[in-house]
Amino acid sequence: MDNVTFIEVQTAMGGLETYAKIDHGNEQYTTMLKSTYDSMQAEQANMIEAAE
Amino acid sequence: MATVTTNFNFPIPQSTDLVKDGATAIAALGTSVDTQFVDLKGGTTGQVLSKASNTDLDYSWVTTDDANAIQNAIVNAKGDIIGASANDVPAITSVGANGEQLVADSSATTGLRYVATPSASNPVLNSAMNVWQRGTSFSLAASTAATYVADRWQTLTNANQAVTISRQATGDTTNLPNIQYNLRWQRNSGQTGTGGMGLVQSMETVNSIPFAGKTVTYSFYARKGADFSGTITAYLFTGTGTDQNRLNAAYTGGVTAINQTFTPTTTWQRFTYTASLGSTVTEFASYFLWEPSGTAGAADYLEITGVQLDIGNVALPYRAAGTTYQQELAACQRYYYRQGGQSSNQILASGFGFNATTTYFFLTPPATMRIEPSVLEYASLANWDGNATSALTNLTIDSSFSSQNTIFLAATMASGGTQYRPQALFTNNTLNGYLAVSAEL
Repeated sequence: MDNVTFIEVQTAMGGLETYAKIDHGNEQYTTMLKSTYDSMQAEQANMIEAAE
Repeated sequence: MATVTTNFNFPIPQSTDLVKDGATAIAALGTSVDTQFVDLKGGTTGQVLSKASNTDLDYSWVTTDDANAIQNAIVNAKGDIIGASANDVPAITSVGANGEQLVADSSATTGLRYVATPSASNPVLNSAMNVWQRGTSFSLAASTAATYVADRWQTLTNANQAVTISRQATGDTTNLPNIQYNLRWQRNSGQTGTGGMGLVQSMETVNSIPFAGKTVTYSFYARKGADFSGTITAYLFTGTGTDQNRLNAAYTGGVTAINQTFTPTTTWQRFTYTASLGSTVTEFASYFLWEPSGTAGAADYLEITGVQLDIGNVALPYRAAGTTYQQELAACQRYYYRQGGQSSNQILASGFGFNATTTYFFLTPPATMRIEPSVLEYASLANWDGNATSALTNLTIDSSFSSQNTIFLAATMASGGTQYRPQALFTNNTLNGYLAVSAEL
């Protein structure tokens, strides 16, 4: 089961960004900006209607 | 006593004949010549002599369109091509439409057929299922959200519907045009979920617009496992939005251009469907919907490959978007790029130490990516500065200096970094380590 945490990382330009870190187990991870993660989650909530 | 010539038997006098008989002999000779060459008399401009029988000097004047030549009447229209439908049987192939090209077709009467000239590449990437950067086998749990499997192909599962997606050899050079691999889409044995599952490729707008307003033919090869259950439907969806992911949501301005349930057998078959796309289409998706039934047996699967979209109402011979595997791989790397698995200590990116806990790395993908990647995937990586190895706490894409061509990565460590020292990101003594960036739709 994936485990999602949110981390704050300082950027090279000095800002602070919040990232989603998804732990898939076995030392496998996916990271992305939290805003990207949130939009992907929203898309998946709308998922699958085959016919237009 | 007169005699005759050797070849034509013209009567001629002999040297011993009387002179007084000369005029008669000459008259007889002249009459004979006149009689025997009578067939040469007459004729009109352009005619030629044709033998009328096997008798010497038996000719008739004929037009060039004689019984032993190709008859004018065989052709009917401008552009007709004279060929043959069998031994000694001339036949025509009627001219095709403007811009079409001639191809061999053993099922056609003359063995030739006009087909539309490919005016656009096959827009389906990894259409022959031979690029699998993420791995060649995926065990997807029940209720898995949209997941990319083979490059550019995405799927999901529903409740009680664990699925295995894998690359398989087609093993068939008779029913397939030498396509090496296919994608096997298998509901695992014993699974009972019967919700609809999609196997989808959403096309980028830049590759979709050439098909707007065109008649298109959608084709693919498929076969089923012995226990295949339920129904399978081929859809071609179109939309008017930009770069939307059709598995995640319905298209803006969506239209179902093709909706065809098909019946695969355990032998490879090609299925083709034709439709007209709207003139405002800016995106489309190849979408297979499998609605399984009952409890899955050991071979409840479908295999698909050779997915293609052609302009025109005929499925052209299968061709990939790239003419070589290298081109196909590069095309896929526009959307996703992954390294790893080649050696236990594989260098993946280089960079510099920023401070004791942060290192920045530069990753340059081999192809310009579709957009600046937003998703990073990694496993079992570490930071090496030529002296010490440091385990990573986090690895993220820092958009401060990232682009479609160079990805700027920020690695954080608990400690051990050295400021301004060159650093290497590598797979930490395992073939399981990898680093990937995604710019997928």
